[in-house]
Amino acid sequence: VKYCLVPFGCQMNISDSERIRSILESLGYDRTEVEEEADILGIVACSVRQKAIDKVYTRIHKWNAWKAERPVTTFVSGCVLPADREKFVDRFDLIFTINELPQLPEMLRHHGLVTPASLRAAQSAMVGAPIGIATGTEDGTRAENGGDGLTPLPQIDPQKDYWKIKPHYSSKFEAYIPIQNGCDKFCTFCAVPYTRGREVSRPSEEILAEVHRLVETGYRSLTLLGQNVNSYGLDRNGNEVSFPELLRRIGEIGREFGRRGDGGPQFWVYFTSPHPRDMTDEVIDVIAEYECLAKQIHLPIQSGDDKLLLRMKRNHGVDKYRKTVQKIRSTIPDATLFTDIIVGFTGETVEQFENTRAAMREFRYNMAYIAMYSPRPGAASARWEDDIPHEEKRRRLHELSQELQEMSLIQNQQLVGTEQVVLVEGDDRKGGFLSGKTEGRLIVRFLSSDESLIGTFVTIRIDSAAPLSMEGTLVGVDRTAEQPRPVGINR
Amino acid sequence: MEVSARPRVHHVRSLTESAYVLRFDRRDMVFEPGQYVSVGIRGDINMREYSIYSGTEEEDYLEILVKEVDQGRVSRQLKRLNPGDEIEVGGPFGFFMIDPEVRRNGHVIFVATGTGISPFHCFAMAYPKLDYRLLHGVRTLDERYDYDAFDPTRVTTCVSREPALAGQFAPTSVPGEAAARAGMTTTVSVQGRVTDFLRANPVDPDTRCYLCGNCDMIYESFDILKGHGVPPEQLFAEVYF
Repeated sequence: VKYCLVPFGCQMNISDSERIRSILESLGYDRTEVEEEADILGIVACSVRQKAIDKVYTRIHKWNAWKAERPVTTFVSGCVLPADREKFVDRFDLIFTINELPQLPEMLRHHGLVTPASLRAAQSAMVGAPIGIATGTEDGTRAENGGDGLTPLPQIDPQKDYWKIKPHYSSKFEAYIPIQNGCDKFCTFCAVPYTRGREVSRPSEEILAEVHRLVETGYRSLTLLGQNVNSYGLDRNGNEVSFPELLRRIGEIGREFGRRGDGGPQFWVYFTSPHPRDMTDEVIDVIAEYECLAKQIHLPIQSGDDKLLLRMKRNHGVDKYRKTVQKIRSTIPDATLFTDIIVGFTGETVEQFENTRAAMREFRYNMAYIAMYSPRPGAASARWEDDIPHEEKRRRLHELSQELQEMSLIQNQQLVGTEQVVLVEGDDRKGGFLSGKTEGRLIVRFLSSDESLIGTFVTIRIDSAAPLSMEGTLVGVDRTAEQPRPVGINR
Repeated sequence: MEVSARPRVHHVRSLTESAYVLRFDRRDMVFEPGQYVSVGIRGDINMREYSIYSGTEEEDYLEILVKEVDQGRVSRQLKRLNPGDEIEVGGPFGFFMIDPEVRRNGHVIFVATGTGISPFHCFAMAYPKLDYRLLHGVRTLDERYDYDAFDPTRVTTCVSREPALAGQFAPTSVPGEAAARAGMTTTVSVQGRVTDFLRANPVDPDTRCYLCGNCDMIYESFDILKGHGVPPEQLFAEVYF
């Protein structure tokens, strides 16, 4: 009995998929990438752009057509706007928010599915084994629970219990750790408050335990996920630590491992996405203080124009953003800076666009994720006219991309001749090469076909630079020891 | 901080044919004046955000000021609610707040259009000693929602489409017979838009300015105030849709 899960969208959806996988596999379903083979077909939807939702409709239309030939069960979760949810009711067998994930086994049973694990559980029950709702294990296997992954279901708190489900991590060395779900910011271009609800912080003990466990099992790159990670804890009204304190405690885990005598294991901890309004000096100071907190900061600016930022309801101006960047530059000079930008937002004048271009030049991003604005039904800005012609949006996108490439090249060129620690991620598109990322998440490729290096730290001497990537020579392999800090970035 | 229990409606109070105040249980919600809540019909997945209209002293209830929107999926339904009906309320949210030091010692200017007066009504209720000046842009005099709740010496109403005031030229800063006829004896009323008034009446660059209403007004006011030397970090805005 097989399932196929199709995730769309951001890292948060990937992370949610890992938890859905965990549930399904602990129920006894086997994963397949081939939709035609699957008995259960699921989508983790994304509402960031209409195009992503259109893909959901296309998929479910195809899947429902298959029902005439064989029984299949379909479900959808993830980011779904209320209006789409209404339409999905008639199309999907099951719809659930990610908070409701712990109830998925029960939903499947109500839908009439007898799961492989429940069959086994029933057999086990006959010899006195406990029956409960399945939860996964930290590595997605069912071995820890005696083979079927069944554990008694605790009292469900729909806001938080889905975090207790141990995900089936997609990678052996990189992991996403959700720390918060939902958003209270109500940016006018974004539908997240309507799809994921209000900000809810995951208990810090769970986060710290997951970090500890992952590092101990050899994970090298951890990314703390949330729609507004740096407003972590604010929803708990003083009953949870703040984001900088959470980072500090993670930093202490890094020190704890560092004190073990063998120098390692080394790991890098990232977070995304922070909101500039909540980016305090304390956060930056803590990053500077701890070795394991990666010196890479993703700080979405969205626009470099104060009035457009008002229209986007970002609750900060360019000057506040500038002060934050200045603090980053002065406190962590080797930090890389990434951002998100929207071009062609409703009403964006040429002058406002030029202000964004000026901001890009001023802030010297290493990477920018630039998107053409498209109205997201449900988001407030969808009520405004999408008045920038598509061709003009493309022109603005192209111009900012050019700016980014030029800046990236200049900064990468400064690293030529230096040695950089790189976490090897996999085969490069260039044949015979492996590629990975520096602590600052800059892409580096090097000549090697030794796949045992994947998931390890190596030292690469940078030989040449290109926009958005570099090429170098492998000069050292060190899988456990403490690594030297990369130098020279953004100086 | 989020309130998820379902409050009950106290009443719906009509202000004009399309604008009304919805009062409902506060349920111990702690909020800062200037924040907003999301409100919807019980069981309906559609929610909308509304600035809190009432002050902080009213322990039993919250109020929101709503303008009924043609084809609106929430505003029309809220208007039909009866006392005792349950509604969905989330929040409070937002950062459109006045710094405590400014509240004590500063002078602030509020600029609103239409129902954008809502957070300023809340400020006026919550901070009776606040040193403020309110410019309220309305199309007709009946859109001066609950204007008697404000200190009349602090309010200037800018009326853009009132036939009774036609013939006056913007900005004419006089009470005007027509305004008096409309029962507005002390609040200054001028013909024209708030942006006309702002342009003709420069503000002190040290002033903190709070803008709430439609985006066009906010953009225009932003430029005018910057032109008067008010730095962007002293401009705060809440855009309505």
